[in-house]
Amino acid sequence: MAGTDQLSAVFSALADPTRRAIIAELAARDATVTELTAPLSISMPAVSRHLKVLERAALISRSRSGRWRASHLEAAPLREAADWIERYRRFWDSSLTRLDAHLAAVQAAGPVTDGPAGDPREPE
Amino acid sequence: MNTETPQLAVSRVFDAPRQLVYRAFTDPDHLAAWWGPTGNSLPRDTIEFDVRPGGYQRWTEVNAADPRLRVHVHIDLTDVVDGELLEGVMRVGGRLQEGIEPFETRLRVEFHDEADGRTRLEIRQWLPGHLAHPSEEGWHQAFTKLDAALTNSQAVAMNHRGVQVWPS
Repeated sequence: MAGTDQLSAVFSALADPTRRAIIAELAARDATVTELTAPLSISMPAVSRHLKVLERAALISRSRSGRWRASHLEAAPLREAADWIERYRRFWDSSLTRLDAHLAAVQAAGPVTDGPAGDPREPE
Repeated sequence: MNTETPQLAVSRVFDAPRQLVYRAFTDPDHLAAWWGPTGNSLPRDTIEFDVRPGGYQRWTEVNAADPRLRVHVHIDLTDVVDGELLEGVMRVGGRLQEGIEPFETRLRVEFHDEADGRTRLEIRQWLPGHLAHPSEEGWHQAFTKLDAALTNSQAVAMNHRGVQVWPS
């Protein structure tokens, strides 16, 4: 069975947005470091470092054919997990923005009618 | 039960007292006013709350673009501390958008006091089991090559203790 350590390595590898972008790119096709760097606004050595992390988590494999070293996505279902996390992150982000507005509106409408929690400032 | 590290952690500070932020999660009228996704409505008569340890929070979300899409959300609350904590298992089912299967996810929401009467919200969420442990398919695929390698090496090393992806 898959070890928890392996799973931890996978999730910490997927925790980084740049690495998720790389994974998304590799979901479409195998790519070299040069090809992966083009759409990202980071340096090639930085991309290489990210690839090493992904490789250690066994999320990608790298082949050498001639001069070019292409990265290949392994275990595509793990991308599903990353997508799910991303979807929920966006969900919370937009919901909590609305919550913020809601809380402001409620407090502007008048004193909070809930027993102990009122305006923390003492009246003059 | 589930002692694993949550895969999603969200933290945000609100300019509102802790009890009010807690009520935004536990009072049906409040929740309906802000809970997403954008455009979805929570008909008031579908919201049923019994907020206590062992209680529940249930509601239905109606999709704005296609009212036939109705998502049923059931949270079974395992741990509740008034004004401080909500924890439970959220089950999402009903008629979901295409490509989304019903799932359940563990959720923990903590409410902390911050300076100046503000409140810090800490949300922790765990991946649904089928995503966190894609053993049947995901890991199987991931280890297919390794498996093949091990099978090939069995002839060489009879006593290897490797990854098994076949039922033992």
